[in-house]
Amino acid sequence: MSDEILKVRDLTTRFFTEEGQVNAVEHVDFDVRDGEVFGIVGESGSGKSVTALSLIDLVETPGRIVEGEVWYRDADLAEEHRDSHPDAVDGDYVDVRQLPEATRRWLRGPAFATIFQDPMSSLNPSITVGEQIAEAVEVQRRARANPRRTRSRTQGYGLGRLLVDSVLPSQGYVSDESQERAVELLERVGIPDPEQRADEYPHEFSGGMLQRAMVAQALAGEPDVLIADEPTTALDVTIQAQILNLLTELQEEEDMSVVLITHNLGVIARMCQRVGVMYAGEVVERGSLEDVFENPVHPYTEGLLGSIPDVEDPAPRLSPIEGNVPSLLDAEMGDECYFADRCPKAMESCLTDIEEHEAPAATDDTDHLVRCILADREYDESEALGSAAKQEVISDD
Amino acid sequence: MISPRTLRNLRKELRSSALAKIGIVLVLAMILVAAFAPFIALHNPTNQDLDENTLPPMGFSRTTEETTSEMVNGSLQLTNETVYVNATASHPLGTNSLGQDVYSRAVYGARTSMMVGVLGTVLAAILGVSVGLVAGFYRGRIDDALMRFADVSLAFPSLVLAIALIGLWGRAAVDVPDPFVVFGLVDPVRSALGLPTGMPDSFVLPGTVIVVVGLVNWVWFARIARGEALSIREEEYVKAARALGASDARIIGRHVLPNATTPILVLATIQVAAIILLESSLSFLGFSGTTLSWGFDISQGRGYLSTAWWIATIPGIAIVLAVIGVNLVGDWLRDALDPGIEGEGGV
Amino acid sequence: MSYGRFLLKRGLQGIVVVWGVVTIVFMLRFITPGNAVDAVAPLDASPELRERIAEELGLDQPLYVQYLDYLWELLNGDMGYSYISGIEASSMVFSKLPATVELAVASSIIAIGLSIPLGVISATRRHEPADYAATTFSLVGISTPNFWLGIMLILLLSVQFGIFPTSGRAFGFVQAFRITANQGLGAGADAFYQWLRFITLPAVTLGTYFTALITRLTRSGMLEELGQSYVRATRAKGLPESLVRYKHALRNTLIPVITVLGLQLGTLIGGAVITESVFSWPGLGTTLINAINARDWPILQATLVVIGTGFVIVNLVVDAIYAYLDPQVVAE
Repeated sequence: MSDEILKVRDLTTRFFTEEGQVNAVEHVDFDVRDGEVFGIVGESGSGKSVTALSLIDLVETPGRIVEGEVWYRDADLAEEHRDSHPDAVDGDYVDVRQLPEATRRWLRGPAFATIFQDPMSSLNPSITVGEQIAEAVEVQRRARANPRRTRSRTQGYGLGRLLVDSVLPSQGYVSDESQERAVELLERVGIPDPEQRADEYPHEFSGGMLQRAMVAQALAGEPDVLIADEPTTALDVTIQAQILNLLTELQEEEDMSVVLITHNLGVIARMCQRVGVMYAGEVVERGSLEDVFENPVHPYTEGLLGSIPDVEDPAPRLSPIEGNVPSLLDAEMGDECYFADRCPKAMESCLTDIEEHEAPAATDDTDHLVRCILADREYDESEALGSAAKQEVISDD
Repeated sequence: MISPRTLRNLRKELRSSALAKIGIVLVLAMILVAAFAPFIALHNPTNQDLDENTLPPMGFSRTTEETTSEMVNGSLQLTNETVYVNATASHPLGTNSLGQDVYSRAVYGARTSMMVGVLGTVLAAILGVSVGLVAGFYRGRIDDALMRFADVSLAFPSLVLAIALIGLWGRAAVDVPDPFVVFGLVDPVRSALGLPTGMPDSFVLPGTVIVVVGLVNWVWFARIARGEALSIREEEYVKAARALGASDARIIGRHVLPNATTPILVLATIQVAAIILLESSLSFLGFSGTTLSWGFDISQGRGYLSTAWWIATIPGIAIVLAVIGVNLVGDWLRDALDPGIEGEGGV
Repeated sequence: MSYGRFLLKRGLQGIVVVWGVVTIVFMLRFITPGNAVDAVAPLDASPELRERIAEELGLDQPLYVQYLDYLWELLNGDMGYSYISGIEASSMVFSKLPATVELAVASSIIAIGLSIPLGVISATRRHEPADYAATTFSLVGISTPNFWLGIMLILLLSVQFGIFPTSGRAFGFVQAFRITANQGLGAGADAFYQWLRFITLPAVTLGTYFTALITRLTRSGMLEELGQSYVRATRAKGLPESLVRYKHALRNTLIPVITVLGLQLGTLIGGAVITESVFSWPGLGTTLINAINARDWPILQATLVVIGTGFVIVNLVVDAIYAYLDPQVVAE
């Protein structure tokens, strides 16, 4: 049995806006193994959050997942769909993207749970925190009680039921059982007075407490994969450490895999076993934390890490890379390596064709992959282009 | 004030929105019709021609029972006959029961609606913005008092208050000379076009109505202006200006008012639509100083619904088109400028 | 602040507004040109008669005495007697009130019942035919004067097809209820049928503007809410779409919609006045117009006081619902 819980292949998500097609995520591949923390790191605008949303199929219009496979390991689900969707099943794995929409939705919670960046805007301001967590519990409880109905379009909860619930609040969606479980979950994530806090509204919580509540909500479905999208970015530094500790602790105890998305290298260094570096919608380098941080091959990774490739140092300096993240508008993207105009090591061939360039890095580990011409050769300073030459070639396109 | 960015947003929104274009066309059409009414109307809208009363619009005909008496064999014989009344080319939209041209009255009605809509809104804006700016800028007791007063005036529906005030104050009207007619520009053009001459040389402006619609709609402006003043007075640059010794009047005029322009402009557009509706309601109920009004014509047509549907229908269509136009322009401004105001202020 | 204290505070503010309403109504007489006695006295009244009238109406007293008298009488439910018919103003106004309330409630039910589903459908099927139909309807709806709409409905449904009566009111809802109780179900069913026949056109006429307005507000509010991150987070935790849309997004959409409705309540009452006039509906609107035309002060004052107070009371209810739905309001 393989130890990957999630295998993402060739995932491509584009936004079709009035200004043109935006290639937010391009042919992204990565695996997430059992019980590990997989980090995705990159500047803002590099496509990391869209990658997270693509995993849980929540890309909103005008965005659309254009192609790609998300293989998720679930033997029961695979068995169930082996006959009806043969293409979507491979051994114990199912390709989430090819499953019916209702099933995909049903996987949110028990398979993938998500924590978003800003806890304040991720909770409904007019419903108590306890009830919102209890909803997440309830949806799983109902799924277990009646799996068939749960995968129908309304998941056994149509407009008629909703109207009855609105008129008779005591008959609401959330059962007492789930409400109690929500309190337990709040306690589990270290919120004092959970019973009382459950009845409070999001605006009565501090940012750190809210993010804990979000974690509690994510735990409600007992997920196999926890996707944490910039979970600490909106928080104070001291609170950040607490939330990260909480995540580490829970990940070990619950035996979850975590996909941690952040722009903060310190967080990656501290939390992750393996990491993927994203740039302009592509994963430009991925491998184990040691490989990527100690032997970066891609000049972008090197640039990100600056001069301190030391994993032990919790606060590597981010030496800013000159230039801006390139436009992701399809019309403005050429054949050249998207990093070429910022790359100190760019050479002639970087400006023509990059398709062939992904290859295992010339290190010992075959799991260390780099999308760069330098993956299998040494850098030779004499080949580097001056910045003027780069400009000239690019503007010729 | 209107910055280049604002203009860019306006243009961008206009390009992408077909509705905005329709709105601008409708509003421009209404302004042109109102301004050049003496050239566009086919007849003097107040001329009565009882021989041509209740003519149907083009494409329609009306039946009427005509009784003819005849001496047959020495006794009077009454025969009922169904007579068809057909449209005539000189009255394309028909005539009303007094033989007035429905089309020409609709053209002149646009003047009343535009005048009351714009002047009433200007009055409401001046009143409301002054009160709101003062209340928001000085806060404290003045603010409390003015806002409580605003709450109280909101408790009376605009239409109810307007009816009460006009009913009690009377329906004063001002005769405004029509410049095109007075300077003799109209008759030559009309003769050249082969249209009947003798258009009205003055135009009745329903003064009380304008004052009253301004008085009953100022609150909306006051609320917006107050909100803007409250937020802008806390801005650092306003504090700085004050520290440098700028007078209150100068701060309000130079800093607060320009910043409040956008929401006030959007609100004013919505209010023009609301006031056109209010004016038509008032004249429908007979609380107006003029008879050249769409609402008045509708009330006149009410009695002829079973025989002459067009008398009440056509002015109503004119109101709907005008108000749709203004509302669409309002939507365009709001979407492009995004002032974040609520409350549309209806009849 | 607790919910109870919030309501108490709003209630006290409401009383202040009612006092303001009453005062403005009192002042109306003094900002009106012409002597108040002229309004009552016959044209050829002798000076003695005029004096007697002034004395009887208390018009010879100083202003503050008149004001205090007026307040005191109001507190005792005494709003004077009609100059025209001599009927007690309060009983006249309260006898007309049910017809107006009935009309307002019926049209609100139509408006709320139609507009919220329309707005939601419009927002969730953006750029589909249903959305275009709903936005067109709401644009035309907010741009149509209701008196004209009423006349067009009469023209089409009463005059042409004879489905509904052109005007009037057979009897009230309560009366129909009483008939059911006293004369059995058969007569009761007929009574309700008649009631429905008469109220349909006025209620549709008055309700259309609000249906259109709330559809617009619901659509834009719902679109905004559906774009919020909490909606995405709610979907991410696996909730069925019906819960995401209706329990989460719609609930938050309705909060600002309710505020605007509170502000637009005046429009509803103003609309009722003119709708009543179109359909000869015997309610407060008709009473008000008649009172103004006849300069029947006591009736006019009583009508205005009842309308103003009614507005304040309904707004209190709206505030209470608002605060119930949005806990942050109470907190502030």
